[in-house]
Amino acid sequence: MNRRTAIRNAVVIAAGASLLPSCFREDKPAIALRNISLSGKEEEMLAQLAEIIIPTTDFIGAKDLHAYEFILTMVDDCYSPEQQDKFVAGLKKFNEVSKEKTGDSFANATPQQKKDFLAIVESKKDIPEEVVDFYSIAKRHTIQAFTGSQQFMEGIGKYKIIPGINFRGCVAIAAA
Amino acid sequence: MGDTNKFDAIVIGSGMSGGWAAKELCEGGLKTLVLERGRDVKHLKDYPTTNMKPWEFKHRGQIPYEIAKDNPVVTRCYAFKEDAMQFFCKDTEHPYVQEKPFDWIRGYQVGGKSIMWARQTQRWSDFDFEGPARDGFAVDWPIRYRDLAPWYSYVEKFAGISGNKDGLAELPDGEFLPPLELTCVENYFKEFVAKNYSDRHLIYGRCAHLTQPQQIHLDQGRGQCQARNLCQRGCPFGGYFNANSTTIPWAEKTGNMTLRTHAVVHSIIYDEAKGRATGVRIIDANTKKAEEYFADIIFLNAGAINTNLILLNSTSKRFPAGLGNENGILGKYFAFHNYRARISANYEGFMDFKTEQSRPTYAYMPRFRNVRKQETDFLRGYATTFSANRYSKMGGDGFGESLKKELMDSAQKLGPWGIGSQCMGETIPKETNYVALDNEKKDEWGIPLIKFNVDYDDNDEKIIKDFTEQYTDMFTKAGFTNIKATDSKQAPGLDIHEMGGVRMGKDPKTSLLNEWNQLHACKNVFVTDGACMTSTSTQNPSLTYMAITARAASHALDQLKKHEL
Repeated sequence: MNRRTAIRNAVVIAAGASLLPSCFREDKPAIALRNISLSGKEEEMLAQLAEIIIPTTDFIGAKDLHAYEFILTMVDDCYSPEQQDKFVAGLKKFNEVSKEKTGDSFANATPQQKKDFLAIVESKKDIPEEVVDFYSIAKRHTIQAFTGSQQFMEGIGKYKIIPGINFRGCVAIAAA
Repeated sequence: MGDTNKFDAIVIGSGMSGGWAAKELCEGGLKTLVLERGRDVKHLKDYPTTNMKPWEFKHRGQIPYEIAKDNPVVTRCYAFKEDAMQFFCKDTEHPYVQEKPFDWIRGYQVGGKSIMWARQTQRWSDFDFEGPARDGFAVDWPIRYRDLAPWYSYVEKFAGISGNKDGLAELPDGEFLPPLELTCVENYFKEFVAKNYSDRHLIYGRCAHLTQPQQIHLDQGRGQCQARNLCQRGCPFGGYFNANSTTIPWAEKTGNMTLRTHAVVHSIIYDEAKGRATGVRIIDANTKKAEEYFADIIFLNAGAINTNLILLNSTSKRFPAGLGNENGILGKYFAFHNYRARISANYEGFMDFKTEQSRPTYAYMPRFRNVRKQETDFLRGYATTFSANRYSKMGGDGFGESLKKELMDSAQKLGPWGIGSQCMGETIPKETNYVALDNEKKDEWGIPLIKFNVDYDDNDEKIIKDFTEQYTDMFTKAGFTNIKATDSKQAPGLDIHEMGGVRMGKDPKTSLLNEWNQLHACKNVFVTDGACMTSTSTQNPSLTYMAITARAASHALDQLKKHEL
């Protein structure tokens, strides 16, 4: 079983099997990418960004869902070369702007500094467009990893692969 | 020792109509060779994605960029997603020529597109069959509703069709399994339409789903539809009709069927001395070697376009322009359904109500224009789908715990009713819309590429305009809001209802097929797929292909018994 399959299968396993931090090495990315190229530190930054967007609470968050890997999979497989270049450039710029605004690279900033910086990025005030675009892609796929996860779809969304043929076309919503 | 290349019958194609030809001919006692250009897809065994959950798809359904880039045509198809892409033809593997844009969507495997179809089924009436004669286009159909009615019943019972008996002359009722419910707003709109228009009717969308399987379906090994809405993957319950679960296994169990996959049909062999077709020449899809098979009768069910291609490529001294093509119209009068127009809206009523579970069909409005007489500045008209449901409004503001909470809280919160309607317009077959063989280009099996010269006309534009006006008006009066009409400007073909080129007719000078779907000029060749359609009307056509096929096969068996064939 190749590494990517192992990682994908790990996403389906219930929360708790977190293995990210130890995977990061300075120069070697944690998952095999074909089109984009990030350093281990850049992947770590992306993982932390995802975890800030959808943090772990008493319900599973981005870290245990390996959301950052899903972001990279989607960008690597489903985006055009131009979009991929912009994403990588935007990620690098995100880190630079973080240094400007908070004094530290995003990965090294304190949790509060990270949140303050993201608030600025969300506001789009004085933020380069490529950073806004990068953040928007990272956020979109983090949310997708979360709302598309088994835990969310079954636990919160009540998803059933076999609903059964008992469609009810007009049901009164029970009073709260 | 018998000749292993000789059969009683050959069926070209194993899909929506080919599966029926195989079943009928095998049940009739004929040793039948079924030729399929693609691979086998065995029911249950060969549905690799059918039980996968959404989170198990690497890209959550999206097609990877490199595939989309190299295959722009099939990527336009709504059903070409990560869960069913293995059943669709890639552009790169099967090129064709577009003199005018045409999105040709194909599925080359046993079962063909019957695996991925939308399962909507409606009968034709005489308002449809009489269309060309009354309105002066194409040629008169050589059959009427009374000829096909018993065959509609026959195929509906076997396939399993869910529907409501609506009592409409323009859309005859069928042999129905119970219908499913319409939603609050569908019923609301249905009542609104009934109150305000005597000739418009919103009904339950009849579909090929086993809402209540009968003994025949249990005998087929199929069970009740579970409303998963994942039909395009193939169904583990056999809950909808496809050839793989229904007609092909039935043919197989007679012991009379030989299925030869990876068989690309090159041409039908015509014997000049005998004055009849004697067999089929194939090119093995993998080895590229030519082989020949022989039979007394041939059913050509390769799908509308490939059926045209095979006939055009079947040349001989008697038929230099293609088998049966003495009048030069083979490939011409090609038509499709006009699917460009859509409309969406919202409704703020019934906010204390919702739907529960899911449903593999929607509501349907049969054609109401020019039904009993010509009334507008365009010919014929359009049917429409109509669906109304409430959808979760997922948030997306901010980040962190507040965003997470908003997403979790809103998952069960419903927005207003969302309404959608798709226009399905009849198109007028004309000589200038045709498919033909390319003069130079060939595929990897040495068969000429098919080229398309098919386009919309002024009538199609008027139909789009009328749909948009009428539905905007009805939606407005019904109190719907946020009404948005769109014209996708899509090329012909994305309707995936391509028809014609080998049309039925009374007169061999102006048609290719007689009332029994036999080539006028070569009576042991039958064409019963979309190619045979003299006009398109507005109905989803597959049910009509099934009925036409069963009727023609019955005639073939009868003629063989009487030694007329």
